[in-house]
Amino acid sequence: MTREVSIATSWGVGLTLALGALIVAGSRNLAHFDAALVAYTFSILFATFGLTYRYAMWLQRPPTAVYWRRGWQVFFRSGWRLRNAGTWFRRLVSEFLANRFIFQRNRLRGITHLLIMWGCLIAVAITFPLVFGWLHFQPVAGDLSLYEAVIFGFPVFRFPHESAVAFFLFHGLVWASFLVIAGVMLAMRRRMREEGAAALQRFAEDFMPLILLFAVSLTGLMLTASYTWMKGYGYTFIAILHAITVIGTFLWLPFGKFFHIFQRPAQMGVGFYKDVGRAEAKACCRGCGHAFTSRMHVEDLMEVERKLGYRYEIPGTEAEHYQWICPSCRRASLAIAQGLLWRGRRGGVPLEADARAISMPVRVNRGMGEGPLGVEDAENFYP
Amino acid sequence: MKSPITISGNRGEETPPAPPLDLESIRTFGPFRAYADDIRVDTGVEPDKYVKTHCCFCGQQCGLQLKVKDNTIIGIEPWYEFPFNQGMLCPKGVKRYLQQDHPDRLLHAYEKDSVAPGGFRPIPYPEAIRRVAASIDRLQNEFGRDAFAVLSGASLTTEKTYLMGKFAHMCLRTANIDYNGRLCMVSAAAANKKAFGIDRAANPWSDILGAEVILVSGANIAECAPITTNYVWQAREHGAKVIVVDPRITPLARTCDLFLPVKPGRDTALFNGILHLMIENDWLDHDFIAKHTVDFDAAAGQAREWTPSRTAEVTGIAEKAIRRAAELWGTARTSFLLHARGLEHHSHGVMNVLSAINIVLASGRIGRPNCGYSTITGQGNGQGGREHGQKCDQLPGGRDLDNPEHRAYVAKVWGIDPGDLPRSGADAYEIIRKIDRGEIKGLLSICFNPVVSLPDSNFVRQALAKLDFYVAIDFFMSETARYAHLVLPGSLQEEDEGTVTQVEGRIIRINKAVDCPGEARPDWQIIQDIAQFLGRERGFTFSSPREMFEELRIASKGGVADYSGVTYERIEENFGVFWPCPSETPEGVPTPGPQGTPRLFEPESWNPVAKGAGPFYFPDGRARFHGIPYSGPAEDVDGDFPIILTTGRVVSQFLSGNQTRRIGPLVDHYPEPRVEMHPRLASRLGVGDGDWVTVESRRGSCTLRSLVVNTIRPDTVFIPYHWPGRKSANQLTIAAQDPISKIPEYKVCAVRVRKADGPPEYAGLLEPQQ
Amino acid sequence: MARRNTRGSLNPNSESVLLMPVPDNLEFFIDPSRCIGCQACIQACSECDTHKGQSMIQLDWVDRAQSTQTVPVVCMHCESPTCAEVCPADAIKRTGDGVVQTARKPRCIACNNCVLACPFGVPKMNTGMNLMMKCDMCYDRASVGLKPMCASVCPSQALAFGTREEMARLRPSARPANTFQFGAQTIRTKVNIMIPRDSPTDIVDVTSSMYEPALGCELLDGLFAESLYEG
Repeated sequence: MTREVSIATSWGVGLTLALGALIVAGSRNLAHFDAALVAYTFSILFATFGLTYRYAMWLQRPPTAVYWRRGWQVFFRSGWRLRNAGTWFRRLVSEFLANRFIFQRNRLRGITHLLIMWGCLIAVAITFPLVFGWLHFQPVAGDLSLYEAVIFGFPVFRFPHESAVAFFLFHGLVWASFLVIAGVMLAMRRRMREEGAAALQRFAEDFMPLILLFAVSLTGLMLTASYTWMKGYGYTFIAILHAITVIGTFLWLPFGKFFHIFQRPAQMGVGFYKDVGRAEAKACCRGCGHAFTSRMHVEDLMEVERKLGYRYEIPGTEAEHYQWICPSCRRASLAIAQGLLWRGRRGGVPLEADARAISMPVRVNRGMGEGPLGVEDAENFYP
Repeated sequence: MKSPITISGNRGEETPPAPPLDLESIRTFGPFRAYADDIRVDTGVEPDKYVKTHCCFCGQQCGLQLKVKDNTIIGIEPWYEFPFNQGMLCPKGVKRYLQQDHPDRLLHAYEKDSVAPGGFRPIPYPEAIRRVAASIDRLQNEFGRDAFAVLSGASLTTEKTYLMGKFAHMCLRTANIDYNGRLCMVSAAAANKKAFGIDRAANPWSDILGAEVILVSGANIAECAPITTNYVWQAREHGAKVIVVDPRITPLARTCDLFLPVKPGRDTALFNGILHLMIENDWLDHDFIAKHTVDFDAAAGQAREWTPSRTAEVTGIAEKAIRRAAELWGTARTSFLLHARGLEHHSHGVMNVLSAINIVLASGRIGRPNCGYSTITGQGNGQGGREHGQKCDQLPGGRDLDNPEHRAYVAKVWGIDPGDLPRSGADAYEIIRKIDRGEIKGLLSICFNPVVSLPDSNFVRQALAKLDFYVAIDFFMSETARYAHLVLPGSLQEEDEGTVTQVEGRIIRINKAVDCPGEARPDWQIIQDIAQFLGRERGFTFSSPREMFEELRIASKGGVADYSGVTYERIEENFGVFWPCPSETPEGVPTPGPQGTPRLFEPESWNPVAKGAGPFYFPDGRARFHGIPYSGPAEDVDGDFPIILTTGRVVSQFLSGNQTRRIGPLVDHYPEPRVEMHPRLASRLGVGDGDWVTVESRRGSCTLRSLVVNTIRPDTVFIPYHWPGRKSANQLTIAAQDPISKIPEYKVCAVRVRKADGPPEYAGLLEPQQ
Repeated sequence: MARRNTRGSLNPNSESVLLMPVPDNLEFFIDPSRCIGCQACIQACSECDTHKGQSMIQLDWVDRAQSTQTVPVVCMHCESPTCAEVCPADAIKRTGDGVVQTARKPRCIACNNCVLACPFGVPKMNTGMNLMMKCDMCYDRASVGLKPMCASVCPSQALAFGTREEMARLRPSARPANTFQFGAQTIRTKVNIMIPRDSPTDIVDVTSSMYEPALGCELLDGLFAESLYEG
């Protein structure tokens, strides 16, 4: 077992045990734990292990490790903490809760993702505490019109069971599945008609998650329909079917597309990294002299590349390392290198520059109005 | 200061004022930039159909497919099978579709109304046509038939150009019709007729591929005819040497084998000098000269005095480079000479072209595989548009308006008396001068934007404002249409069908992709509607372009530009048909193959002029050398105006920009005109890259940003001409014209340049394309 | 020609229909020395059905003040792609047929590592969308045997797509190479660059040419007969 695997396994086992302990404690020694839901619990415990294991493995990859370490460093950098906390909150709302960056790709995609995301979040928020026995409702002794919510064994609040609160609370999963089904439909439509999606999509990666979410939501709704309008017709069968789909989804979590739910927050770290980088020392291209990113980023990348076994060092030159050359100069150098191979074979001679010794490449069309890419990209290179 | 040359008609001492900013008109009618949005960026839309057609812009006429959904063109798809470009396109071709469904599109007829927004108010189409007919009637009755003029264009389909000529000559019976090819192809056309008796590319482009030497003179192929680049590079891969003659190091010149940075306007000296060296070293094809040409001695006589040292002195090219060029050209076994407006836009443009033809004829390398010569036609239908009667001295089939036989033939086809046909009229610029002098009172224009495209544009604006009645047919409110009393909504290329003849002389099909929006309609219907309201609808009752083409076939039959054997079906089956393509030939002479006549002047070929006497289109079948006396530009530099101004195109824009300045991605590509100048000139003027500079000529001035680059002669500045108003290079250019072809001298005039006092007034007010 | 029929991809059960490989014999060839800077590639790239309205290709003036030279760069599709290896989010995948795809949207965290690490300077970062985008050889077209958009339209054929046999026939003075040297690092790519047929080396050494001047025509190299505004 390699070092990376042992570390990941330890984290996985540790977190899984911790969750187990919380379940025991939160359900008051399983007093409120519903034995019928034990399969759910175990699938979640499995998913916890799988996710933690994969996450830990992922964090140990050189590029991720560097970002992880630096991300926290810059977050807690003195003089930045307050600002970072503010930014964190702002981005939490705009990027994660509101999916702003997805809306920028396409409005319909934004809506699609928002529906699925919030559907799943609501469902998870309701079901997990119930399954773990962390939350249950009980009638209030003495007033039969009231329910009491008990969390971690502590009574928290009461509400009348004919009230709107009760209606929303007890049908929360129905609302969640409506959101998810709508989102899945939109996502499926996109995958079926758009060329961009068609060129890249794979069944396991892109269709499977949608099918699973759809199955979970549909079987869940059938359960409600069965006990509400059909006097429990086929309830047991549907319940088993529902359990299978939900458990399947949990078991799938660490492997497929759903892993992005846990990877994505890294975007936050990247944001801080860029904020700090923008404010601190620039890396100036050792070809054209333009600043093109932060010095920190170049140095970190050189470290990552070294760890990965790349040898972009250019000994004996003023550049020292190819990473100090900006992307524009890299492209220009490619053309110059190829052109020089043709010297004496085609027309043209090496130009003895009038004024400058080095070339000054410029993108021909930095803001060509083709969507935001051009301008954004230019800013990214020359902050 | 008094100009030593008075060119622009009866202009007084006063320079006309600079163009008005006209912000309200721009706010109402644009130009605004269109970008792909909605259905055009939806990656999930499957087009209803793919329409195989051609680009609407330059003379290359690249084949492409338009993707159509719900009467909107949503994009393009390459058409790999079309042999000329095999799917290749320049940026204009890729983004051309954005001109369709454009917010600036004219959907109604408009009448000038000073209180309406933008100065025009929409009126019902029939009412507009009635007014046009009434005004034509009134002016022609009052001032004579020639008082009403027609300006047409070479981006129209051949059917439309035929109809325009017929409309002017038969319906209006005015002598004054001319077209915007007058600013483009006419020098080459006139010279080709003088030297070869026929005005068409001598070879298909495939002959470039096998040439050993390719001489490109005054043609920025990479930007103005981009697809031809691949032909040149392909030849180079097989060992061809490329010689480029240009005052700027164009992208093609960058890695050419020999670059001759000619001083603008000195081309005849260069070609005479090369001929001199060819004679001196006996790099001549004596057999060819003896058997197939006349007047070699005249050319040789003029070349005699052009020794390398004198040539070097006049052209500004080093002697060793001239010697090297003559050697490469003289000793080649196969070759191709290409030229374009750089050689032709001169007050001696015809002579320039004839001097280039001299070195082709002296080499004997024409009329054979891999041996060729051609001008690179600029406009979409620059070739077809100059063949069938919209030129001021022309009748269909490349016939002459002043030739009695030709008059009789065409009059018979049209069913009129030859005496009813007018005589030759004024050329395009002369029409403007006649307007200024009050000799022409009324004007109909189509497919022509003279306010931007004619030289000395301040004078042009002043003249147009004097018109009694002016009707413009256009799909956008062009800068010129704003001077009209009535604007009629015409059709885009993709809204109509027909044929055009591209750079090689290949007749190709334009297919309709979408319907005209609003009250707009195909241009030919508008012309026919006017004829009908004039009560002279006889001969103007075509129901489709195909019917016009059928009549054109008959009208061109027996002429030099003989289309009689061409049908729409034959074009589509063979990816185009090269004219001449007669339907019948005398006994013993085979009719051309399915592709027509791709290569002219093949040794045993027959033509209706020589009738077997030889391959060239003269009664003796021989090509003509011409003695070329040297003359410099009409306006040379002097102490007051010490710098040469030359103008030209950029790859992302087309001509006056009425279409391309409305296509967002193309505007972003090269947003505004810049004054290209050498760092040595810039440092002498104290100008840095991107600074505002003022360029002044005797006719006007403009203030633009500089572009300081090593790739231009230090005595020359360059400004692209696609922009209107105060950004227009044609405020500066001179209206000096070639005495034969009447082409204006866009390529040389004298200017002075200084660092501007500050940003121009328009800087904060106008978008780049306006 | 109906453009193509990729609508087979509606059937989500068939992995092979979903991801058709780029035919083995079709390859991408670039020759920057042919480029005329016309930007047809940029404009055509944004017409590609998979990313309409956005252009992925890179085109630069090498040094406009000195020369008209331009350089188009498409993704070279490295055999061991630096961009993918430095990606902290595992967002860049290389397909079995050697195409390095653009970032998987759910994963890309817009860290910019790929942009800065790519030795050819290919990926573009869209900061607004938090997404890297790069050329993926028009996978939708190439996998059905069609030329990518840029290579279809390129009027100079600086970007060309076809078989090796075609290239050998059309360009007898050139041959393809796909090995590049960056300092001590050698990179092999799926996309080829054209070098002289008789070139003594198979390797295009990018970093050793980095400070060399570009090739071009010297306007003032004794070509003029007269001196023009000296100094």
